[in-house]
Amino acid sequence: MQIFEYNGSALVAMVGKNCFAIASDQKLGVQLQTIATDFQRISKIHDRLFLGLSGLATDAQTLYQRLVFRHKLYQLREERDMKPETFANLVSAILYEKRFGPYFCQPVIAGLGDEDKPFICTMDSIGAKELAKDFVVAGTASESLYGACESMFKENMEPEELFETVSQALLASVDGDCLSGWGGHVYVVTPTEVKERILKGRMD
Amino acid sequence: MKLDTTGMESAAPVWGSHNELVDGFSAAPSFELPNTTDFDGFQKEAIQMVKPAKGTTTLAFIFKEGVMVAADSRASMGGYISSQSVKKIIEINPYMLGTMAGGAADCQFWHRNLGIKCRLHELANKRRISVTGASKLLANILYSYRGMGLSVGTMIAGWDETGPGLYYVDNEGGRLKGMRFSVGSGSPYAYGVLDNGYRYDMSVEEAAELARRAIYHATFRDGASGGVASVYYVGPNGWKKLSGDDVGELHYRYYPVMPSTVEQEMAEVTGA
Repeated sequence: MQIFEYNGSALVAMVGKNCFAIASDQKLGVQLQTIATDFQRISKIHDRLFLGLSGLATDAQTLYQRLVFRHKLYQLREERDMKPETFANLVSAILYEKRFGPYFCQPVIAGLGDEDKPFICTMDSIGAKELAKDFVVAGTASESLYGACESMFKENMEPEELFETVSQALLASVDGDCLSGWGGHVYVVTPTEVKERILKGRMD
Repeated sequence: MKLDTTGMESAAPVWGSHNELVDGFSAAPSFELPNTTDFDGFQKEAIQMVKPAKGTTTLAFIFKEGVMVAADSRASMGGYISSQSVKKIIEINPYMLGTMAGGAADCQFWHRNLGIKCRLHELANKRRISVTGASKLLANILYSYRGMGLSVGTMIAGWDETGPGLYYVDNEGGRLKGMRFSVGSGSPYAYGVLDNGYRYDMSVEEAAELARRAIYHATFRDGASGGVASVYYVGPNGWKKLSGDDVGELHYRYYPVMPSTVEQEMAEVTGA
């Protein structure tokens, strides 16, 4: 079986009006077997920057630890948080360092930049950045997610409507994938607050 | 390649037909080989093409009141779910059921072929075929196609004059008689629940609940199983479908969502 499909994952990030949402499934599997139904794929780098990592779970964990380390050093030196665009460049550089022995992950980065402008981007496993204005997807269910997001997305959605859209797109797509699902985890981030919600999904 | 169509040929002798039909023995299955330079390689490729590793969960067991048969309803192509509503319990005739695991086309075709052969047996012998006989017919056909890439992992369950019968038949030509079987990628999980809860003296409702739970647990753990858990019962008067529950709903019935304690609560923000 392919290495990217060893653990299974589904990630999506969407832009709204002065806010963004980032969502993932909760399954950790080993090929067809389910190991955990509460696996965290999305981590907070700082209050206005979230990172989701799909693909091989061990590489996702290691990469996350490395990035947190680099960000903490940056905070000590610069005495401020990293901007999302800068962080995306950092991730891209770290991934390309391993060009000939890569981390088998696909990151999804979502954050609020200057003037609370939402920023989302995704990358392949060797650091090729893909900036998008509307949504980005990653994981084994990515093709279904592209279809679902493309049809459900609207510009300038308010946080509540954005939450609904992201949740429906995520649940619909993972229901068509054997390797991801078992619930959902959604973060909706506005300049004043972060709302974290767990979705009730099909557990098969 | 010509498939075994002896079940579909007319039994009555026709002018100029082969003598074999008149003798009462059906012709041995025969097939033409395809025109390739490398037949072995072609065979290997064909086998790999139709080998969706039996992604399913089916189970059947004999108990005091008869036979209980249950299956999920998911069809997967690699990682993609192609359908959540596949009928994996095939009604061969009103008193015999077959389960489907492996290639859908293979199972559907050969079960229907078996149904035809069973009916012909009834007409020729004026009595129903036994489960032993039916499973032997299927096993012999599959054995003759051994190595050709058929993917069939089926259980034949029925009620005949000797009582309840259950056989496991697969594409290697294996045939096993038994009291409990589970077939498919989700079978280890189903066995865990089935072996733990099984007793010979169960009522029909208890046995149905055991079968449903076993399928549910398999769909929870196995990525290639899911959809609807169908449960059938085979008794002295034939088979009856007892239930078809969506496993997404079964999960919340067995494990309802409890309100959890709040870890971090936000205070009201005055002003923006």
